[in-house]
Order: sequence, then structure tokens, then C-alpha cells
Amino acid sequence: MDSSGWTELNIGPQHPSTHGVLRLKVKLDGEIIKDVEPVIGYLHRNAEKLCEMSYYCDNLIYFDRLDYVASMIMESGFLEAAEKVLDIEVPERAKWIRVIMSELSRIASHLVWAGAFGLDLGMLTPFFYCFIQREKILNIFTEVCGSRQQTNYMSIGGVYQDLQEETITHIWEFLKQFPEKLEEIYKLFIKNDIFFSRTKDIGYLPKDVAIDYGVTGPMLRASGVPYDVRKDEPYLTYDKVNFDVPVSQKGDVLARFVVRFEEMRQSARIVKQALEKLPDGPYFNPKGKKSLMIRVRGNGEAYSRVESSKGELGTYIVADGSVRPYRVRIRSPTFKNLSVLPVLAKDTMIADLVSISGSIDLVFGEVDR
Amino acid sequence: MSLLTVFQSWFSPLGHFWSYAIAYFLEAVVGLILAALSLIIMIYLFRKYMARLQRRIGPNRVGKYGLLQLIADAMKLMGKEVIFPARRDDLPYRVAPLLVIFGLFAAFFIIPYGNIPYFGSLTISHSDVTVILLFAFMAIMPIGEVLAGISSKNKYSLTGAMRAVAKDISFEVPMMLSIIAVVLMSSARTANALNLQSIITSQVIPYGILEPLGIFVFFVATVARASHTPFDLGESESELVSGFSTEYTGLRFGLFYMGLFGSIFLGSLILSVFYLGGYHGPFAGSIGWVWLMVRAFILVLIFFTVWLAMPRIRIDKFMDLGWKYLLPISFINLVISGVLTLGFGW
Repeated sequence: MDSSGWTELNIGPQHPSTHGVLRLKVKLDGEIIKDVEPVIGYLHRNAEKLCEMSYYCDNLIYFDRLDYVASMIMESGFLEAAEKVLDIEVPERAKWIRVIMSELSRIASHLVWAGAFGLDLGMLTPFFYCFIQREKILNIFTEVCGSRQQTNYMSIGGVYQDLQEETITHIWEFLKQFPEKLEEIYKLFIKNDIFFSRTKDIGYLPKDVAIDYGVTGPMLRASGVPYDVRKDEPYLTYDKVNFDVPVSQKGDVLARFVVRFEEMRQSARIVKQALEKLPDGPYFNPKGKKSLMIRVRGNGEAYSRVESSKGELGTYIVADGSVRPYRVRIRSPTFKNLSVLPVLAKDTMIADLVSISGSIDLVFGEVDR
Repeated sequence: MSLLTVFQSWFSPLGHFWSYAIAYFLEAVVGLILAALSLIIMIYLFRKYMARLQRRIGPNRVGKYGLLQLIADAMKLMGKEVIFPARRDDLPYRVAPLLVIFGLFAAFFIIPYGNIPYFGSLTISHSDVTVILLFAFMAIMPIGEVLAGISSKNKYSLTGAMRAVAKDISFEVPMMLSIIAVVLMSSARTANALNLQSIITSQVIPYGILEPLGIFVFFVATVARASHTPFDLGESESELVSGFSTEYTGLRFGLFYMGLFGSIFLGSLILSVFYLGGYHGPFAGSIGWVWLMVRAFILVLIFFTVWLAMPRIRIDKFMDLGWKYLLPISFINLVISGVLTLGFGW
């Protein structure tokens, strides 16, 4: 492409609205964007290779650090695949606990997204309202596992600690006030004309383009494809709970915003049902207990998919009978979602580029792995 | 009696020339101190108010209730390493933040602040055309911003400067038109229609009530002049890093920051002088100053609320707003005030 007469601008890797270390090579004609080229790899940590070099139980910490705002979902994604190759059953109670934690994690992740999206558009206030709610979830995480973000809560064959009665009451307390507060946050955005003008009809993603690029998650559902792994290929106990998959036909930034907020409401619904149905019983399989954890050996290969807050997280594990996996491959949802950015941002303005890249929900731990 | 004559009477033994020279100098010092004090109060207020809106506590570590936080921040800015971009255009780069601050403080000297006990009127400038002077000084500030953007030789800064120019042109025309309407109104009541003092004294009914469209246009224009969200197009932090001030560090950056807060305060002062009756109120003869400040600070809080609640508007939408909405509205306002002045001779 002939770049003479265009301004070439490097947005990132250090930039207030690239959410970590995304670098966008942008060709500008005045303020109009003619070409965007995302450059990634600034946070590459070799997670897949590291996974091959450590025990199955240790791999969880690398998955925690993939999508560090929704680490519980990442853990459950790895364990779905690992427990297949290790041939370890998960007790019913542990499955329900994983559902509860995954959904809380999804809410926390979407709240971070909503706050950061507000900051991208120049709204300072909603960020704090989102983080007050997220803080309550992180407190619950601290109670169950002792840490806030890199939880390392789930373990092979179950979870690391049982859910205490006290924690359950705290989750109930959170759920009781959450819908009201969520509406408050929602109104902070949606009752603003400028917010509408910044999001409506911006970054339109047609259905077929979304499918071609392998876009998943809220972005795909905002483009009108009702695909949700939790519904279409239920894992854990998602087939036993009642929830709706929000779909919008609009495909613009506003649609993604609305879909994500509806997902938070549905997640709260799932947590409520899971708490009601939470059975008694063991919370881990004795085959994966702490003293045996590093001695479990896997055979064969397995692919698992889970619905992370960003999209479909795939984990592929090849085991060769040793205590370490032979190969771990991660299908990162954000990486695929990011690849559609040049299509969306073409011929828009810089302000729209920020709005669009904000709506993708980028977490760079996951894109670069 | 005014501040100037009181000072002059103190130094009258020195003769006419020297007594006036010293009096003007002292008056300028008093004006600077007052302006700086109100800025400090305002930034503290902003932080606490912002924290309340965002369910936070706000600064509370330095000094009682965090009152000394601003001083600590100023010290921090001074202690920072100053980095100059290598390919800068040196003179404009250094002058730009000073121009912003100069325009700001010069405009502060024009405002009629009303009376305080003993000294009388706090008004510093006694020209007959203070309206023109005021807007002339305010027009210096955008020059500083544009110079900063161009001289840093940074693409973000350049884009920010381009946006700032586009923004300034689209809001200053409606702003001036709404001011012309006010001058028109006051010309029916006073001989010195271009003097801020006589504009205030002619406001038996505040012009904000007589010209609701005018106060609306001026309010929007003031937000744009101060360039905070929703109209912070020159800086637009999440898009252009920091716009025209991207390449500035340390105290020079602090000056731009002060220019932002100063513009908000200046805007609220001007708004209350032109549209809300300035220092009018009970006992205005002795504490008129207080009434002006009360009006200004209430307006400041309104500006802050707008700042904190709104996302940033896109540049083309802002141009639309300026040319397609504000300009016609200000024309209509001009016609209405013409009718009010001549037709009804109010």
C-alpha cells in the first residue's frame, strides 16, 4: 500500500486506551483511519511451552495469568481438558462450585470492561461504580482461596477448599444488592446522548464477517449469532440451570455493550440457581488430593471449550503418559476477536477506533499468552 | 473608593507618578494572590467533589482533610525530571504554557469583583472597554495550546492542536454573538455598555433570565473554552494520549493543568458577571465580593458535574453542534434581545 501523503501513527504499546500493550499501526488521512495493523506480542510469556514443562497441577497458575480479570473461568477451561486426559471424575459439589465461581468471575470481568470502556470514552465516574461491585466479588474470592485476581482456586478433581456457609451468605448478600446497582451503572451509560452518539452505528460487524474471523463471545452474539458454549455444548452443570443467551441483531458497539450487561444479569441468575442447587458431598476427588497431585499421569489427547467472558476458550492437551502434558495449546478468544479490528476500524475516526477497540474487551495476558 | 485609590492614598507623599505606580503594582499582587487562592480552593473542591460523586474519599493524607495535597502535588511536579523533545521548536515550546497562564491571569484582572469592607471596590482594571479586553485576553489561551501542539513535533500533539483550532473556531463565534446580545441589552440602560461594571449595574433583572438562550450558548461555550469533558478534544486523553500537552513534563505540564482549572473558574466568573447579576445581593456595598464568589462556585460545581458525568464528544459531532445548533441559537438570541431592547425599551 502506498503510504505517501498519509500520517503513520503508532498507537501504543504505551497508550491510555490500548488496555495493556496493544500496538496499533494506524495510517491516518487527517483524522480518518485508512488502515490499522494490530501488532501484538509485547506480553508474550510462553505460557504454552511453560505448561509442557510443569506438572498438571502447576499449569493452573499459567492459566490464571491468561485472562487475569476472569481467572476462574480460565482455570475451569484448563481443568475441563486436563481431567479428560487424566481420567479424573469431578464430584457434583465441586462442579457446582466451579459454576458459581465462573459466573462470579464473568460478572467481575464484564464490570472491568464496562468501567474501562467508560474511561475510553472519557467518562470517569462509572469506572468507580463498576469497581465497587467488582471489589465485592474479589472479597468473595479472597474468602474462598486467599487471593484476589490470580486465584488458583480450582484443582485437579475438584476445588482447593470447600465453600463455607459464611461465604455462601456473603454471595447471597452480594446477589441481593447487585441487580439494583447494575441498573444504576447501566443508566449512567445509557441515559447519555453523547454515549449513544459514540457507540450507535459505530464499528458495525456483520454476521458473516464475524463467523469468518472466528469471533466468539459477546461480540459474536451482538452480531446476531446465538452461539454460547454454555448452551450449545454444556460443560460442568450448565445444562441444569436456567438462563438466556442475550443476542442482538445490531452488531455495533452499543449492541456489544447491551449484550454484556444482559450477560451480567444472566450470570447473577445462574449463581442464584447454583447456590440453591448446591449439593452436599465431597468437594474434590481423592485421586487428585494434595499428596497425589503431582503424581497423576495422563494419556491420550483432549480438547475442551468453555465460554469465557471474552468468548470461546479452547484448551487442547496431548498427554504421553508422563506427569507433565506433552503439548498444551490454547485457543484464545480475544486473539481471534482482535483480528477483526482492522475491518471494523477502516474509514472511521480516531475516536471511533478507541471506542471499537474498547468494545472488543482486550486482555493482553490472553492475546499474547 | 476602590482598592487602587486606597493604595494610592497610602503612598501619596511619594508624588502622583510613584504613588500610582506602586498602587497599581500592589493591586496586581493582590489580584494574583486572590486568583491563585481561588484556584487552589477550586482544585481542592474538585477533588473532594469528584470523590463524592465516585463514592471515594478523596485526598485525606496531606494535612488536615488533605488540604495541603495541592501543595504536595506542586512540589512533586517541580521535582520531576524535565524532558524536552529533541526535535522541538524551542521558543514556541517554552512560551506556550506561559501564554496560557498569561491569558488566564490577565483575564482575571479584568473581572469586577465587587466590594470588600474598608477597601471598597476590588475591581482592578478601570478601562471603559473591559468587555473587549476580557475576550482579547481569553483569546490568548488557545494560541498557547496551538503553539504547544505544533512546536512539540509529535503526531499526537499535532492532531490535538488541529482539533483545538477546529474546536475554538466553532464555539467562539456563537460565544461572541451571545455576548453581543448582552452588550446590546445593557446599552439601553447605560452609556458604557462595553464596561463590565456598568453591565452589572444595569442588570436589574439578570440577563440570564431575559436571555435563556444566551446563557445556554455561553455555558456550552465555556465548557468548550475550558476544554474539559465532553469537549476536551484538544487533550482527549484516551485517544491522543494527552493531545497538545503530550510532550510537556513537570511544571510546564502543571501550567496547562492550571490553565484548565483556571478556565473553568474564569468561565464561571464571566458567566455570573454577564448573566447572573455579578456581585448583586444583600449588603453588596460591603460584601459584594462574596456574592460573586458564591455564584461562581455554584457554577463551578455544575461544570464539574458535567465534566464527570459525560463521555467525550467526537470532533465532527462537536463541529455540528457549534455550527448547526449553537450559531443559529445565538442568532435567534440576538434578535430576541434586539426586540427586547428596542421594541419594549425595557
